[in-house]
Amino acid sequence: MHSPIDVTLLRVPESARPAVSEALGETPTWVKVRRANAALDGAEARLRGPEVAVNLLASFNLEPIEPALRLGLQCIPCRPQLRIAPLNTIEQTLLDKGSPVYQESSLATVVLWRIEELLPEVLLPFSSGGAEVLKRQVELLWSRIERVCRAHRETGKSPLFVSTFPVPRVLSGLVLNSQLTTGPMSAVAELNRRLYELAASAPGIYVLDLNWWAGHEGASAFDPLMEQMARQPLSLRGALSLGLFAARHLRPLLAPRRKVLVLDLDNTVWGGILGEDGIHHLKLGHDFPGNIFLRIQREARELKNQGVLLALLSKNDEAEVQQAFRELPDMELKWEDFVSKRVNFNHKHENLLEMAEELGLGIDSFAVLDDSDYEREQIRMFHPEVLVINQRGDPLHMLQALQSTDAFDVYAVTAEDRGRHREYELREMRSTQGCETNLEEFLRSLHLQATIESVHEGNVERVVQMLSKTNQFNLTTRRHRLEELKALVAMPGSINLALRLSDKFGDQGIVGVLLAVPAEDGRRLRIDSYLVSCRALGRGVEEFLWAELARQALDHEVHGVIGEYIPTPKNGLAKGFYDKLGFARVKESASMTRYLMEPLKPVEPPVWLASNGGQ
Amino acid sequence: MNVETDRLRDMLIEFFELRPDTTASDIVQDRIAKWDSLAMVQLIVELQTAFGVEFEVDEIDRLTSYSQIGEALGRKGVKISR
Repeated sequence: MHSPIDVTLLRVPESARPAVSEALGETPTWVKVRRANAALDGAEARLRGPEVAVNLLASFNLEPIEPALRLGLQCIPCRPQLRIAPLNTIEQTLLDKGSPVYQESSLATVVLWRIEELLPEVLLPFSSGGAEVLKRQVELLWSRIERVCRAHRETGKSPLFVSTFPVPRVLSGLVLNSQLTTGPMSAVAELNRRLYELAASAPGIYVLDLNWWAGHEGASAFDPLMEQMARQPLSLRGALSLGLFAARHLRPLLAPRRKVLVLDLDNTVWGGILGEDGIHHLKLGHDFPGNIFLRIQREARELKNQGVLLALLSKNDEAEVQQAFRELPDMELKWEDFVSKRVNFNHKHENLLEMAEELGLGIDSFAVLDDSDYEREQIRMFHPEVLVINQRGDPLHMLQALQSTDAFDVYAVTAEDRGRHREYELREMRSTQGCETNLEEFLRSLHLQATIESVHEGNVERVVQMLSKTNQFNLTTRRHRLEELKALVAMPGSINLALRLSDKFGDQGIVGVLLAVPAEDGRRLRIDSYLVSCRALGRGVEEFLWAELARQALDHEVHGVIGEYIPTPKNGLAKGFYDKLGFARVKESASMTRYLMEPLKPVEPPVWLASNGGQ
Repeated sequence: MNVETDRLRDMLIEFFELRPDTTASDIVQDRIAKWDSLAMVQLIVELQTAFGVEFEVDEIDRLTSYSQIGEALGRKGVKISR
């Protein structure tokens, strides 16, 4: 059965919501799709997200379904310009360095391909020369795929999303063909396996799992008449769903993931109410319905291991809850898994604010799973920026909502992500530990070590991640994407610094970034981006970065450095930072303060922060 | 005029973005610039959804005007009276 799209979760302007709901509802029509696109086009631009171009290349005909794909992408939200390459010109387009895919800027390039067009012989293996011949043809196709991906890597500036091959839907000889080592199914499986490997080893190439999508959507996404008539296999419903599926894959390029999953306890992490039912009557374990809660816990722990912070927000008695965590035999989540906990009877919306403060994060970094209609409504009312993941309190619905949410989507989990939870734990320890009498002494006692790195292939993903997520100590909040960052650091005369911090508790990874580019007259540098992760603030990282920049700049005989402070609702912390470093204000407006230090003066790094050489 | 017939006219008027007073007899592929092969593909989906029918392959080439569509729908039990 087709599952209807939860339109309440679509990020579209209110004015367009009825038309979009109608188009994505039970009986879509092209006229409804047209109305929805028109309603979105007519909505206020600032509510519709950024203008982006997306290149679409496919082995089947996308032209007839363009409005449906566009509607899906509008829900990122963004204002997409779709550039559809002519039917089945994937290779011609991507191998041509002069093609618009490379010449004009774009958010991403998406390639959708099917075995039906690229290797139709494999659908009729007994008429196509037998296993050996087909094997060679599969190899040949793979070398074409590799060539296309390599060409994009060499020339493309934006990410490339390559689809897997869907298992052919329409196939004769199902039983026989399933036995073949080189038949339609096995060829698809082999090509897909190689695609995962290729994407995993090539930065900037990601998989869009069309095979998963086809299986998930089932027969209703396809229309055999359209396949023959229009050289595209999808029903209208399928085309709309594919648009949303593509949107989900592109969304992390435009929107950062939620950083914190906030869990309620009663009827969310376990079945039943602790304060009423008592620990031993709570439902959790391998039998229904306790198995649903067990699965919710496993999903939450998986997210934790992917770098999402867990927080606990429950109206309960804390001592009782701690006892339940200790004594309930099937608890997968441990008390220590939560970096922030509010187990009390205060309003949840107030607790959420406190948690945001405690973790040094914006309230818009939070996503909540809570069975109570009242609590969810209250949170939505007071903090519309908080994502409420589930729409109902039914446990199966909550599990499915958690599994299908796009709130935590990322393309890769970095080492920093994996260690993030531990870092917050240590931070808590740092804040409570020790009898250090003054700050400098305390900082010295941490044995802080800074390593300066230039931005390179090995850390560029982390730097992009920092650019996209750091809000508080961020002088300019420029959200450079991967290709922009690469262009920036490649600029002759630029100085780019990434600072890795470690202390007696462990390696904290890269926590500071400073990017400076030559200014127009060549004798000055302009600081494009200057940011420090909030979990590393107050340890001299920001001053250390500046001392290093000044040192390198003086080596290059730079005369002056231009700094900019661009205020946002979140970066008040960084205001006045350049004043503190001794810059002079040269231009002030509401949108930016421009600073200059000329002549550039060398400065000593903080005494408590040891330099660890680096490169 | 039959209700379904009106619905067909209304549907085609909206689909091809024609003037609201366009008469049924004026709805002919040759006279409507937007009625190209791309629109034809979408139109078939639209008709099948709106009237809950499925066209057979040899019917599709003939769906080139209001009256031809009306006839094809009539054969499928969608009542048309004129």
